Amino acid sequence: MSEPQIVFENVIKRFGDTVAVDKMNFSIEQGEFLTIMGSSGCGKTTTLRMLAGLETPSEGEIRLAGKRINEIKPSDRNTPLVWQSLALFPFLNVVENVEFGLKMRSIQSHDRKQRAMKWLERMEISEFANRPVAQLSGGQRQRVALARALVTEPPVLLLDEPLSALDANLVVRMQGVLSRLQKELGITFVYVTHSQSEAFAMADRVVIMSQGLIEQIGTPKQVFREPATRFVAEFVGSNNILTGIISKIENRKLHVDTEIGLVIADQSGHDDLATGNPVDIVISADRLNLYSLDSPDEADSSSNKYRCKLVSEEFIGAIVTLLVETENGTELKIQKQQKDLDKDLSNVNLETGQQLWVSWPGESVYIVPAKQSAKFVSPNSPTCPPTFSTG
Amino acid sequence: MNLIMHLRINADRVIRLLLLGYLALVFFFIFTPIVTSIIFSFNSERFPTIPLGSFTWKWYQTIYADADVWEAAKTSIVVAISTSILATLIGFCTAYTDFRYQFRGKNSYLVLALLPPTIPLIILALAMLAWFSRLGISGKIWTIVIAHTVLCAPFAMAVIRLRLQQMDPDLESAAWNLGASEWAAMRNIVVPFTKSAIISALCLTMAVSFDEFAVAWFVSGLNKTIPVIILEILQGNIDPQINAIGTFVFVTSITLVIIAQLFFILRSPKQPTHV
Repeated sequence: MSEPQIVFENVIKRFGDTVAVDKMNFSIEQGEFLTIMGSSGCGKTTTLRMLAGLETPSEGEIRLAGKRINEIKPSDRNTPLVWQSLALFPFLNVVENVEFGLKMRSIQSHDRKQRAMKWLERMEISEFANRPVAQLSGGQRQRVALARALVTEPPVLLLDEPLSALDANLVVRMQGVLSRLQKELGITFVYVTHSQSEAFAMADRVVIMSQGLIEQIGTPKQVFREPATRFVAEFVGSNNILTGIISKIENRKLHVDTEIGLVIADQSGHDDLATGNPVDIVISADRLNLYSLDSPDEADSSSNKYRCKLVSEEFIGAIVTLLVETENGTELKIQKQQKDLDKDLSNVNLETGQQLWVSWPGESVYIVPAKQSAKFVSPNSPTCPPTFSTG
Repeated sequence: MNLIMHLRINADRVIRLLLLGYLALVFFFIFTPIVTSIIFSFNSERFPTIPLGSFTWKWYQTIYADADVWEAAKTSIVVAISTSILATLIGFCTAYTDFRYQFRGKNSYLVLALLPPTIPLIILALAMLAWFSRLGISGKIWTIVIAHTVLCAPFAMAVIRLRLQQMDPDLESAAWNLGASEWAAMRNIVVPFTKSAIISALCLTMAVSFDEFAVAWFVSGLNKTIPVIILEILQGNIDPQINAIGTFVFVTSITLVIIAQLFFILRSPKQPTHV
């Protein structure tokens, strides 16, 4: 059985007294688009730099294609990096920048020019070949950086927040370019970002890090719908998180006492929980429903239903974000398509301060046992079964 | 309200004029002796008096014919070129060490590297003479080169260090990442990036060495440099050929300094700005 392309085994990186990356264990399959996400200082860039050989692990082992690479110099690795600052060489023109990696591998001038031009064409910037890089726009420079990294046809491409300097429209366009490129080339992309939308738009799997530790590894959907820890639930946003203690388990339903009262959730996937266990409850903002007080009961058969008052309403395109406050003062966030909201409320206009019902079905409640440690999820490795049932 | 604004604008104007006047005075005191010397170098009268005599190349012809001056010029040029290359090399290494590495005692290292120009020249010169005599190597051309290199390396370092500070540290890592060894990255990235500063440092140190008198006078022995021979001629008699040599030295130095400044200011390739 062959090992995944990249393996991190008990990798620790210290800078002086601070631990940047702590006991990291995960693997990346050949051809995977893996995103490492976390807030600044969580160790995601350090992880990437260790892959590139720009930092050496303090402990543990990193293997690439089955070979230990801890001691291999960055110049001998062929793990090109697309830098956050792009780091294009300012005194070289576009084609010379792209040729650089080939020149360092002593490839003949004619040959390397041809290969560089091929990549410039592929990135649709061949008309700028002889321009100094300073004359290009942000998006064009981005493409030069990509071409420069890919020209040596590496097995792995590392990307360190490459889109952070671009404006929003361009980010979406470049996401498309990157996704397509990764599929066409079939090589592994390891992409570091703090942006949830970038991560979710492109990644096959997402690694969420916090303070040097992996909080969760999973598909974007798993991370979004089934956060492994409270941190992940907070980090991916648009979640309502309640804290409580299990008071009763009945008919595979968990009864949890929380700050807003009793919440009933399905037990599926949490057979290990018992009465008295502390848990965090995560309800995605798009799973909450709003009804007016006078609506008939049969309109909503949810097991969780609370009186609340509307605090604020905000429109972004077709999506409405509402904040409501329950009777004991807990705020809940609701995100709905405008047309769904209109249907639920029978086209009643909302006013701030208005009393409403907020409700959600038991199966949309996601339970995170309190202080749960990170889980290891790998899509293909039989030794590491998925921690969560999907669906 | 209006009055206060008006007064303030007027006060600004007055301060501006005063500052301009001050600047003009500074330039006047710096350049008048030099310009006077240049003018009298073309004057046929033996003594620098007004009214001027007729225009003449006489004094230039005198120094052209003087073997001692030629010898001194040759020594000065050899010393200046060797010094500039050595000092720039050392300055580059010092600046690069500062750019690339973090280490304990880095501040002391920088202070030591920048120390020589802060020591009074006479003291530096005396110390050099005593040291070279003890080693038994005083009075050779290359002892002047060593002494001048000590004096000039900090200037080279300062110029190159300023340029390196503008370099994105990722550039060098990016070169390694693309397969460049450390030497290849140095040759292909660091040196081209700092090229303008290196040329600037070469010119600047050459000018400093070419002009330098005190240290050269102490350690030169029989290998006189131009500033040393100027003093010798001055001690002998009052002779307008001094003005001619002075003009030659001034033109050489100012040319080097201007080239240095041009390379330093233009800094040929600009970094792309990251938004």
